[in-house]
Amino acid sequence: MKWPGRVGVGELLQFRVGGFFRAVAVSLVFAAITSGAAQAAQEASGAERVYSTAPPRLLQIRTLVGDAGRQASIGSGFLVSADGLAITNYHVVSQAALEPNIYRLEYNAADGSRGDVTLLRVDVPNDLALVRVDKKDAPFFAFDRAAIEGRLPKGERIYSMGNPLDLGFTIIEGTYNGLTDHSYTDRIHFSGALNPGMSGGPAVTADGNVIGVNVATRRGGQLVSFLVPARFAAALVAQVGTADKPTDLRGDVGKQLVGWRSELFKSLSVAGFRASNFGRYRAPETQALWFNCWASTNADATPKPRASVNSTECGSDTSVFVASDLNIGAININHSLVKTIDLNSFQFSTYLTQLSQPRLSGGGPFKKWYTPQRCHEDFVNTSLQPEHPPLRVVWCAQAYRTFEGLYDVSLIAVTQDQPLEALVSRLSMQAVGYDDAMALGKRFLEAVQVGK
Amino acid sequence: MIWVEILSRQREVAARFRVVASEVRIGRGYDNDVVIDDPYVAAKHLRVYRHDDGHLVAEDVGSANGTFLDGNRTRLSTFTVDGKQPIRIGQTYLHIRDVNHEVERERLAPTGRHALPIALTIALALVLVGIDALKIWLTQTGEARLSAYLTPLLTVASALLVWVGLWALLCRIFDGRAHFLRNLLIALIGTVAFSVFNEFALYAAYAWNWPDGVTYGYVAAWLSFAGLCFFHLREVGRKRLWLKGAAVALLMAGGIAFTTLQQSEAASDFGRAKTAHWLLPPMLRAVPLKDEDAFFKDIGNLKARLDSDRSQAQPADARL
Repeated sequence: MKWPGRVGVGELLQFRVGGFFRAVAVSLVFAAITSGAAQAAQEASGAERVYSTAPPRLLQIRTLVGDAGRQASIGSGFLVSADGLAITNYHVVSQAALEPNIYRLEYNAADGSRGDVTLLRVDVPNDLALVRVDKKDAPFFAFDRAAIEGRLPKGERIYSMGNPLDLGFTIIEGTYNGLTDHSYTDRIHFSGALNPGMSGGPAVTADGNVIGVNVATRRGGQLVSFLVPARFAAALVAQVGTADKPTDLRGDVGKQLVGWRSELFKSLSVAGFRASNFGRYRAPETQALWFNCWASTNADATPKPRASVNSTECGSDTSVFVASDLNIGAININHSLVKTIDLNSFQFSTYLTQLSQPRLSGGGPFKKWYTPQRCHEDFVNTSLQPEHPPLRVVWCAQAYRTFEGLYDVSLIAVTQDQPLEALVSRLSMQAVGYDDAMALGKRFLEAVQVGK
Repeated sequence: MIWVEILSRQREVAARFRVVASEVRIGRGYDNDVVIDDPYVAAKHLRVYRHDDGHLVAEDVGSANGTFLDGNRTRLSTFTVDGKQPIRIGQTYLHIRDVNHEVERERLAPTGRHALPIALTIALALVLVGIDALKIWLTQTGEARLSAYLTPLLTVASALLVWVGLWALLCRIFDGRAHFLRNLLIALIGTVAFSVFNEFALYAAYAWNWPDGVTYGYVAAWLSFAGLCFFHLREVGRKRLWLKGAAVALLMAGGIAFTTLQQSEAASDFGRAKTAHWLLPPMLRAVPLKDEDAFFKDIGNLKARLDSDRSQAQPADARL
């Protein structure tokens, strides 16, 4: 089953009201205590006790339009050190990171205190940001050691705190369900009702230590929510010493994207391709574990199709939030075995034409983020050996205007050895280095083979 | 005996008067031999008489607006009439001719109706219908439907008939004859030429890796349209062909420039050039397979273009 409108990691916990984008995240700690008949009573009193200590360390992070002085978006955060370091989501503060001249940040703590927020570091791939608030000797949240070392047992009860839809701070009880499958970036699967506005809030164990940061939900799922594991937040805190001048954040976003994508494509390349059978053909499928694969056929279509199409599509959940109008990073590998039923060779090639159009789907509006698409098309012979069919190959690419060294590439190969049967293979890569794309594309084409 | 012919603005004879006298008076007044209803003509305007040497001579007898030869701005008072170049008084053109004015030789009538143009027209119409129907059939990948054939064919046929009808009407007005068959032949030749080019461009885009024929197909469209218009105009009248040629060339240049602008703006708005990634049966491939390394070298060269696109796009919105 495909879920409707498959999205990358899921839906980020954002919402817009009156044209403004608000991301609210709040966190709360519950102490779920020991066993026995006394448990129920103790849990209730434990929750009260934990919440009573939470307010001074729980923040609402507000992005203000500098000139208007009004909030453009709202998120949450939590203190992680006595001298005012706090963690939130990158997507909560992205406007201030990308457009510091237009936006500025402010916090409201759950205890009513408020003040300015300085953005120190961002971690775009993990959707985290480190900020400093003007608090001294404040209580703060500690990271959970077991969670950082990955020893948390599945099924453990955890609590997430946030301010959903700007309605006020809430605490939510849910279950820790380990890390998500088929995911390149580690995400904790939290079975609990996260809502827009809770982004950046902490998820804690019963004893009040942070195991993750609220980040997303799956659109169309029920209580399927995601947390960024605490170790990434801890690593971000460790990056900042005492002299924590803000870095060039805008340049940093670009550099992080390039570095992260290069790592990702390296690991894709290391995982390699495995030949999988498609009728007479053999087609490359990635062996990387972080792909989701689906099959589809038109055999049961009405009206009866005039050519049969059997497809597999593998996609990666590697999109990251870069700006409110830009999510990039998806990779897709698609193979369709097409056989005529009653089409002649011209009609069949028209059918293939429709299936093999290059579709460079950007992750955001073209004019703001991309350069025009450039294509190259040719007949290619990958090898002289007979098991390599001649291919018609289209390569289309577009560059990112603002991130040097990143491109979107779509590679389509159509086998040309038979007039009435063909394999249409497609490799789409968002935000890839050009050389990475060429190396991977070459291996991809070489792996398209035909049997005797 | 002197003949006076009043001409239309197209310099065709509108009225002809025979004056049996050695002198003719022309003007708006009723004491003239030839009366002209033109408010810009004097009551007594022109007097024509025979000179001693036998030539006819015209004399302006005192008009305010003067007397001219057609296409000439020199005001004339007394001048010899040759009967060929029209004379203009006020806004009226005249021919004044002697009885011994030379006429063209008798034109030979065609012996019977020519079957060739009719056969050619029918053949071209069949070719056009054939190309269209074949194209529809060969690109039919869904359910076969009769209306999929009839709709485009009838559209093309009615558009052609309306077009040819308009030109035939123009011919009838300015040339006296409709020349329907010839106009139809011109329209068919133009349409068939464009259809053939279109199919050729698709073939070339696939078989020879030459996509420019499709990308710049609109140039061919405007070229055939302009050619079409020129030959229709030529049927309307064969005079001043250079002027018609220039007007048609201007139309073509304007059309091409406009379409180029439209496409380049669309490309800059949507980031996609108009190209056909069109496939045909593999047996039609006419170029050798490219070696993989050579192909990836071409791909590598594309990077420079992307990067230059990027640096051009940069200054306007350097956002990050």
